[in-house]
Parts: sequence; structure tokens; C-alpha cells
Amino acid sequence: MSKTALPRVLSAALLLTLGLTQAQKVETVSIGIAVAQTSNTALLGQEQVIGARFAEKYLNARGGINGTPFKLVFQDTGGDEAGAINAFQNLITKDKVVGIVGPTLSQQAFASDPIAERAKVPVLGPSNTAKGIPQIGNFIARVSAPVAVVAPNAVKQALKLDPKIKEVAVLYAQNDAFSTSETGTFQETVKAQGLTLATVQKFQTTDTDFTTQVTAVLNAKVELVIISGLAADGGNLVKQLRQLGYKGLIIGGNGLNTSNMFPVCQKLCDGVIIAQAYSPNQGSAANQVFVKEYTAQYKKAPPQFAAQAYAGVQVMVEALKVIDRKKKLNTWDLDDLRVELNKQILLGKYNTPLGPIAFDKEGEVIQKEFYVAQIRMKDAKTGSFVYLK
Amino acid sequence: MEFSQLVQNLLNGLAIGSVYAIFALGYTLVFSILGIINFAHGAVFTLGAYFTYTLVVGEFGNNGLLKGVNLFPNGSPLSGEPLTFALATLLGAVGAGLVAVLIERLAFRPMRSRGADPLLALVSSLGVALVIVNLIQLLVGAEIYNFPADAYGDTPPALSFTMGDKVVIIRTVQVIIFAVSLVMLAVLGYVIGRTKIGKALRAVAENPGTASLLGISVDRFIVITFFLSGFVGGLAGTLVGTAFGVAGPYFGVTYGLKGLAVIVLGGLGSIPGAVLGGLVIGLAEAFVPADYSAYKDAVAFALLFAILLVRPQGLLGRSAIQKV
Repeated sequence: MSKTALPRVLSAALLLTLGLTQAQKVETVSIGIAVAQTSNTALLGQEQVIGARFAEKYLNARGGINGTPFKLVFQDTGGDEAGAINAFQNLITKDKVVGIVGPTLSQQAFASDPIAERAKVPVLGPSNTAKGIPQIGNFIARVSAPVAVVAPNAVKQALKLDPKIKEVAVLYAQNDAFSTSETGTFQETVKAQGLTLATVQKFQTTDTDFTTQVTAVLNAKVELVIISGLAADGGNLVKQLRQLGYKGLIIGGNGLNTSNMFPVCQKLCDGVIIAQAYSPNQGSAANQVFVKEYTAQYKKAPPQFAAQAYAGVQVMVEALKVIDRKKKLNTWDLDDLRVELNKQILLGKYNTPLGPIAFDKEGEVIQKEFYVAQIRMKDAKTGSFVYLK
Repeated sequence: MEFSQLVQNLLNGLAIGSVYAIFALGYTLVFSILGIINFAHGAVFTLGAYFTYTLVVGEFGNNGLLKGVNLFPNGSPLSGEPLTFALATLLGAVGAGLVAVLIERLAFRPMRSRGADPLLALVSSLGVALVIVNLIQLLVGAEIYNFPADAYGDTPPALSFTMGDKVVIIRTVQVIIFAVSLVMLAVLGYVIGRTKIGKALRAVAENPGTASLLGISVDRFIVITFFLSGFVGGLAGTLVGTAFGVAGPYFGVTYGLKGLAVIVLGGLGSIPGAVLGGLVIGLAEAFVPADYSAYKDAVAFALLFAILLVRPQGLLGRSAIQKV
């Protein structure tokens, strides 16, 4: 073969290969679930797994996608960015999913979402609430309301409960993108409400001993403490604040919005205020059915992370139904279906357990109803979120 | 800095330092005898806490294969009564010791018998650690479990005293951990320094070949070392679990790196060094200003680096004697 012919042959072979990969038909509709099933983040991720599996079982029992069942493919992201990137790559290239619900943490989303964006695979963040997530790209949306919308409600509610609050301490996990984003919102809200930010304390999500931070809070003599962290560190922080004698109100951010915190601070969790994007008491028919079925199976009310994962799967399935009515899914090329699914997700309106939701053109969730709850512990192990008016 | 703040920081440092110290005790024990780092120590530490929790509470929450299974529906199999926390802690530590022996059989002995590089043993122990951690998650999920609030009876949650107009305060559980780590140091010091077993262990550490010629069963004493290391690690796991909750399967693994820093700082293989190293790192962290406390790990490792530049053998380590 001549030297000039070789590159042509190679490029022809390459084009042929690319052509073959482009012409993949959709045989089974698979939706990827990339959440943390291991690491410390599994505490939140396992609730999402339950929510997603529940959606798969429930929606398939009701006909799936116009009579055809869909399949969920799970990939563990662990708790770090590398794990999330790996899970996304596997779902896109190996498992050939039409879209991805995940990852668990905003910190991971900033690393893994660009992978999906480049591959033109739609992503629905189930619990990414940091600023800037939908702006990662055209294929990135989220069902989790941004913290900037949810967090201020908790501060306003704390002021209702104790109008004498003047001095505030803010503590946040500085190694977690979501927590640093959330604390920014909290700090702005504190100033906007005319309160004094007496001290800002940082910690790491891996920390267990908070004596340094707690003694600084006690010396600042504050009436309100606001914590942005995850369940384990946040719960421990609440516990140590109370054990060392802090008696004022405590607000927990979204990371503390899980019953997994109850075993950590036990009775000392009592009274913690948490702003939420989901309530089992939300009155929509979709939510009431979800709560009833979920409670029957798991003997407890569904937590926010399970509800949001369910909503993520539901949104994908309903968008796929619309596409399937126009043109059967098994006649689509996978790449084209992914692009079409992304368009349809943003166009639709959905009645989910979170209440009615839709998306703006950037992929930001449009949600009207938010809640503020206060933890009430029945005993050392069992507690509940009591919703405040 | 006000005097009360200085005292508060000292107490904070001793409190967290004693956690590092008690973790590092078992860690350094294996190193002092075998000259290898057992990366599975963090997993054994975790198991100790889970074993105790199982014996005290007997039931796990919402996830994992043991979901909702009550392992002891009729109380203790021995007495029918719920086990006291002290007895459960002791049994949990024994369980952790037995697991450590199993790890020695699976991860270390095959390597040793083939004369493999110590680095391979380190990597295989890391593999065992990850298997254990994932096994825990498979069985009981990633939830955080907490010991009953009355684990230490009616002790108040915190002790405090006033200095001028300031209150100096410390959690009772951390005082207990500090006391236990000193007791364990004394016990291990006595066993290794004053008993026949200790003499044999030191002989094995000095030269296994010669010890074998003197009639000491090297393998048996290595097993004893691992059991002691696992026992101390399991006991530490339970105590630290009472302070911070059993924070999921990865609970002990997060202490691994810090524990390594502690034993290097204290002097590799030195048991008092492990305690001193733990306290020094704890104190260094405590004196990081509260606003910068997220950088305390960096400060601790910077201190380690600085001390090693001056004393490469660590605070209480012995310089290697070069034979010429």
C-alpha cells in the first residue's frame, strides 16, 4: 500500500466505525442511576436508590412507557468526583442509557456532568442544590430546588419562633461544594434580616470532633446556629453543641434533611429547624399515592432524597412516553433519542411527589411549594419532621 | 490569647489527641513486632464498635441484609438479660481481636512465608480493609448507629468550670477516652516490658530467626500480637463510637491516615510514642484558630514534617544503628 493511501484507508475505517456506533438502535430503554452506594455519602445515596427502585417498580406496574417496561441501571459513584466520573462514563458508553439521574453531591456534579454534556446525554440532578448546576450545560437539569430558594425560609421561621434573635453563628463544611454554596445563601439571609453574623466556623465533612468550633460558638454567645453540612458531621455537630451547653435554636441545611441524622444526635436532634423541598404532607394526588405505597413497603414516611430520586425517574419516564407516542422508541437511534429526551424533559410539566414541577430553559426546576420542618424526637431512635406553618 | 482560652484549647487538644492515641496504639503494636503497617487496623477499629453495638442493641435499621433482624430477641444468649455496656465492650474488643488474627492468617502470613516484600503485605492489608468495610455496608447499610445515651450510666454529658467570666468545658466521654488510653498504655507497657509474653514478643521483634532457634514459636507470638492489636483497636472503636456515633462503615478508615502520622511522629514501633504523638497532633490541631479549623489537618501534617526534619526517628523512636 502506498504511503498516501494508508491515511485514507485508516480514515475510511474510522468513519465506518463511527458510522456503526452512531447507528445504534434502542432495544431496551435504560435509565442510568448514578448515586453514592458506598462511602460516607451512601447515607444519602441509599435513600436515593430506594426512591429510584420504587419508581421503577411502581411506574412499570402501571404500564412503563406506553406498555413497554423500562430498566434502571445503577452505577455507584462513591462519595468523590472520580467515582462520579467513572459511573457516568460507564452508564454512557457501556450501559447505553438514554439519560442519567445523578449524582448525589453537587461537588460530584461539577466534575461528572460535563462528561454527559460532551456526550449529549441528558442528566437530572436528584439532590444537587448548589448554585450553577443547570448552567453546566444544555443537557443538565435538576429536580432539586436550589438552596438559594429553600434556605431563607428556615431563617424566617426561626425568627418567628424567637423574635429576640440578634447574634448568629454559621458553621459549614468547607470541603463540600453544596455546603459552601448553601452557607453563602444563609449568610446573605442573616444579613438581609438585620441580624449580626457573630462567627463563621468551618469544618470538614469527615470531621467527628467539633470541640473547637463549639467552644468558639459558645464564647460568641449567639442565639441562633446555622449548620451546612451532611448528615453524619451535621448530626455530630448538633449533638456536641447541645452536650456542651448551647441552648438556642439550630437550623440545619439540606444535608441534614434526612432521618439518618436521628441516630447521630438522638434526643438532642429535637427542635432542629430544617427547610425542605419535600413534605410527605404535600397534598397532591401523586404524592399521596407515593407516600401510601412507600409507607406500606418501608414502614416510614419517604424522606426528601427518596422523593427527589423518584421524581427524577418519573420525569424521564413521562418525557419518554411523549416521545414514544410520536415515534416508537425502538426505532430511534440512541444518540438522537438522547437529544430528543433532553428537549422533551425541558418542555414538559410533571405532577410529582414534590408537587407540580417544570423546568426553565436552562434546566432549573420550577417548584412552588417549600416547607420548614422541626425535628421532634419520640425517643432516642425515632423522630419525625413536624411541618411548621 | 486569654488564659481560659489557653486552658480550653489544651483540653480540646488532649481530648482529640487521646482519640488519635488510642487508635494508634494497636496500629503501632503490629509495627513494633513485625515492622509492617497494618492498613486493616481502621476496619478492625470499626468492627469493634459494630460488635459492641450488636451486643448492646442487637438490631440494625433500614438497610443492608440484616435490616430489621433482631439478633438477640431474648436478651443475651448466656443470661437472657441485655448485656451491660462494659461487658459488651469487652466482648466486642475480643471479637475485633479475633478478626485481627484472621487478617494475619489471610493477608500477612502467606506473604511472610513467601518472603515477600513488606510493601506487598501493606497492600494486601489495604485490600482486606476495603473488603471488611464493604461487607459491613452490605450487612447493615451506611447508617450511623449510636450507642444508648446511658452507656456510661448517669455521668453528665459535659464537665465544666469557670475561669473569670469564661466557661471552660469538656465532654465527659472524652475524659473517659483519655483515661482509657493512658490505662491501655500502662497495661501494654507492663505486658511488653515485664511479662514472659512481652519478652518473647521483643525477641521476635529483634530477630525472628534467633527467637525461633531459642524455642519461641514465632507464628504463635505474631498471632498474639495481632490479637492484642485488634483487641485494643476494637476497644478504641467502641469508645470513639460513644463519643461521635458509629459513623458508618468508613468510620475507622478515616482515622487511618491520621493514625499513620501519629505513629511516625511518636517514633515507629514506640508504644509510648504513639500516645505522645497522638496528643501532640491533637494539641497542634486544637491551637489552630477556630476560624481556620478546617485547615487543622494541614497544620498537623506540617508539624509532622517539621519534627521529622529535626528528628527523623520521631519523638520517642530510636535511631537505626548502622553496622559497619
